[in-house]
Amino acid sequence: MITVENLKKEYKLVKRDPGLKGAIKSLFNRKYETKHAVKGIDFSIEQGETVGYIGANGAGKSTTIKMLTGILTPTSGKVTVNGLVPYENRQKNAVNIGVVFGQRTQLFWDIPVRESYNLLKHIYEIPEHEYEETIGMFTEVLNLEPLLGIPVRQLSLGQKMRCELAAAFLHRPSVVYLDEPTIGLDIAVKVKIRKFIKEMNQRWGTTVLLTTHDMQDIEEICDRIIIIDGGTILYDGGLDEIKKQFGQKRVIHFELADKEKFVLPASLDGQVELLPNEEETKVSLSFDHETVKSSFVISEMMSMYEIGDLNIADPKIETIVEELYNKQEQGGKHEEILANS
Amino acid sequence: MRKYWQIAKGRMQENTAYSAWYWAGTVSAVMRLLIIYFFWQAVYANQTTIQNINLETMLTYIVIAMLLQGFVGGVGNELAENIKDGQVAIQLMRPYDMIFKLFAVDVGSKIMYLIQGTIPMVLIAYFFMDLSFPKSPETIILFALSALIGIWIGTFFDFLVGVLAFWTVNVWGVRVLKESLITFFSGALVPITLFPDWLRIITEFLPFQAMVYLPVSIYSGLITGTEAYMALGIQLFWLVSLYVLVRVIWTQAIKQITIFGG
Amino acid sequence: MRRYTRLYWEFAKSHMKVMMEYRIDFLIGVFSVMLEQFASIFFVKVVFDHIEQINGWSFYEILFIYGIAATGRSIHQIFFDNLWTLGWQYIRPGKLDRLLIRPVNPLFHVVADRLHQDGFGQLIIGLIILGTAIPQLDLVWGAAEIGMLVIMIISSGLIFVAINLFFATFSFWMIDSLPIVWAVFNMSDFARYPLTIYHKGIRMFLTWVVPYGFTAFYPAAYFIDKSGYKEFALWTPVAAIVCCVIAYAFWNRGLKAFASTGS
Ligand SMILES: Nc1ncnc2c1ncn2[C@@H]1O[C@H](COP(=O)(O)OP(=O)(O)OP(=O)(O)O)[C@@H](O)[C@H]1O
Ligand SMILES: [Mg+2]
Repeated sequence: MITVENLKKEYKLVKRDPGLKGAIKSLFNRKYETKHAVKGIDFSIEQGETVGYIGANGAGKSTTIKMLTGILTPTSGKVTVNGLVPYENRQKNAVNIGVVFGQRTQLFWDIPVRESYNLLKHIYEIPEHEYEETIGMFTEVLNLEPLLGIPVRQLSLGQKMRCELAAAFLHRPSVVYLDEPTIGLDIAVKVKIRKFIKEMNQRWGTTVLLTTHDMQDIEEICDRIIIIDGGTILYDGGLDEIKKQFGQKRVIHFELADKEKFVLPASLDGQVELLPNEEETKVSLSFDHETVKSSFVISEMMSMYEIGDLNIADPKIETIVEELYNKQEQGGKHEEILANS
Repeated sequence: MRKYWQIAKGRMQENTAYSAWYWAGTVSAVMRLLIIYFFWQAVYANQTTIQNINLETMLTYIVIAMLLQGFVGGVGNELAENIKDGQVAIQLMRPYDMIFKLFAVDVGSKIMYLIQGTIPMVLIAYFFMDLSFPKSPETIILFALSALIGIWIGTFFDFLVGVLAFWTVNVWGVRVLKESLITFFSGALVPITLFPDWLRIITEFLPFQAMVYLPVSIYSGLITGTEAYMALGIQLFWLVSLYVLVRVIWTQAIKQITIFGG
Repeated sequence: MRRYTRLYWEFAKSHMKVMMEYRIDFLIGVFSVMLEQFASIFFVKVVFDHIEQINGWSFYEILFIYGIAATGRSIHQIFFDNLWTLGWQYIRPGKLDRLLIRPVNPLFHVVADRLHQDGFGQLIIGLIILGTAIPQLDLVWGAAEIGMLVIMIISSGLIFVAINLFFATFSFWMIDSLPIVWAVFNMSDFARYPLTIYHKGIRMFLTWVVPYGFTAFYPAAYFIDKSGYKEFALWTPVAAIVCCVIAYAFWNRGLKAFASTGS
């Protein structure tokens, strides 16, 4: 239902020298810098998928989402959503989509939340009975009851985000774009929001495209992830696959009676890496799951030291993504900015 | 004192950054001059004097009044915004007297306005409209003094209006109200001597005429001699009264913040 | 069209509810605007206490010009006031995105986002002025004249709207064009007096470039025979439509530019 082919976005920035002199100079002789925010990406998403769209700051996530919603016109390439080209049929496309930009509100600032929803009902022409039903359900799941009478500007961030999310799903859109919906929220609200998104996806088959910097969001909501870096796609596939593909690293934490005397057993030398661990009684060992078995590492350790407790860490998506970003950095292909005048 | 001067200087620098507003202000001022000029030309088309004021004196009065009115505002707007967004509570913790700080800011913007706005306007007005200069140096000194006091009266009044933001939400409406009161009663549009008697008497008991009418009348020769000194006396009275009022109300307002949290 | 009318009504209802919560502020707003207008009329009155006419126009004739401008402007101020805020409330903080993801015309949305209470003061004073001036004019009022007056006032309002929309649209390229909008809006002060008192260049400018002449002087001149502009005044509604078309086309261009720069 969403297809993106060779999609590119270049921003043109006026380059300015600092100070008054720079401002005057730029009046006569404008220098432009071209910023390649998205450099030809391809993907397609089926109805009902939950996709995590992740990448470092400035990777081009929000830019992509803006192009998918029709707010931004691509420099080149193709986008279709439900068979529509968003930036050409922006208003028609808008009927089928819901959007949350975590950094700014979509609701009406000065009027109570309930009034906001009522206006949205008219804007999206939601039938009355459907509206009642949806609102009733959202109020319960997201605990909105106490918030409905308050103007948006008086809500806390977490309260606002709950209201925001309900607004995005109110007209039962077929796709919902969530750009950092959990930014700045506490754990309890995050959990509530994740649950809500999942439930909507299951109940209505809503396609979800989610960007976030919290990998827990991804693990709990998404079946698939797309990783973007410097405007190009690094990885596109299932969440499980990426763990298999990149997540062979295992880490085991051991609690020792006496950490002072610890040296890596000779039998593990070269195969196992000692990770720095702040805690006074703990030692962390990292190794490749394919070549060394966890049971072997554990038995070697037990034979040499007195182990109080041990803990095998899951391969976390977090660590995987971090490694991917790091590799990319070191790869050093980062000349995105081509200056010309 | 040094501290406040630095604040004023900071504001002067800031103001140079808003060049779009500067040009917009200049264009608007030139348009106002044009309207004034053609309007009064038309008014005087069939007579040489109105209440003993000839066209030249009238134009001089109106133009100087318009220029002076540009200084009569103050920091009320900024104060109201600070109150609305809760900045006041933060500012109160800073090591300066907030009233003096706001006035310093105001002085900064007024100096900039004088250099960028008023002086060019005065030049335009003198070249194209034939305004008259005061005859004697005494008048010039009296006018300068009177204008300075008038400006401060306006500043204090503006402050008082700004403080109202503690008690009302529609800050914009209150400002419009204040602007119309001043435009009307300060004599910025037309010399107060032209008012019907009953209104002139009311006006003489209000502080607004001390902002524009008195100084400009001294300048254009509508008030001379001992009357001019009396005018200064009236101004001083308003200056002191309004300052006391500023201090009293501000103390009340601070209580409001510290007790009710703004 | 019907959909938008209904939608506007819904928007207006919620604004009204908020307004009623702040009743005092509503009254302050209405009262201040009335006083503001009253001050400038009183100025004219004071001048006319000492003279008979300005350029052949009597006090009540000038009042009539003034009344048309004030009533026309109230249409603009009540319903379209939010255009002022396009730069600092929508584009600068990135809130325009919010409108672009909705299935409604973004201009409609910006306009409907606010109903300006203080405009009602303008409307009231405008009607009072017209009510005072009209009986003093040497005119016969039939249905045709009243109909024409209504058309003229609406045209006047539309021209105010079109001019503001046109200059507010610059915000799409320069983030906030408020200073320009403000400076241009101040030109409408020229329209308070008969255009015939001004230099020819100014008259041309206010007729063909920034047509504030059509917000007050020409519409009033239609009703006052001696003005010599009776026929020309008939172009007022045409001017209003042309202005709106141009401004709206320009707005659409701005929106397009915005969609490709994204800032
Ligand atoms: N309106 C704009 N004009 C110019 N450059 C822009 C604009 N918006 C974004 N950029 C640039 O494009 C690049 C991609 O930005 P984008 O907002 O898409 O990143 P992101 O992946 O959403 O990052 P984040 O995680 O920080 O939200 C950045 O380098 C940014 O500086
Ligand atoms: Mg982003």
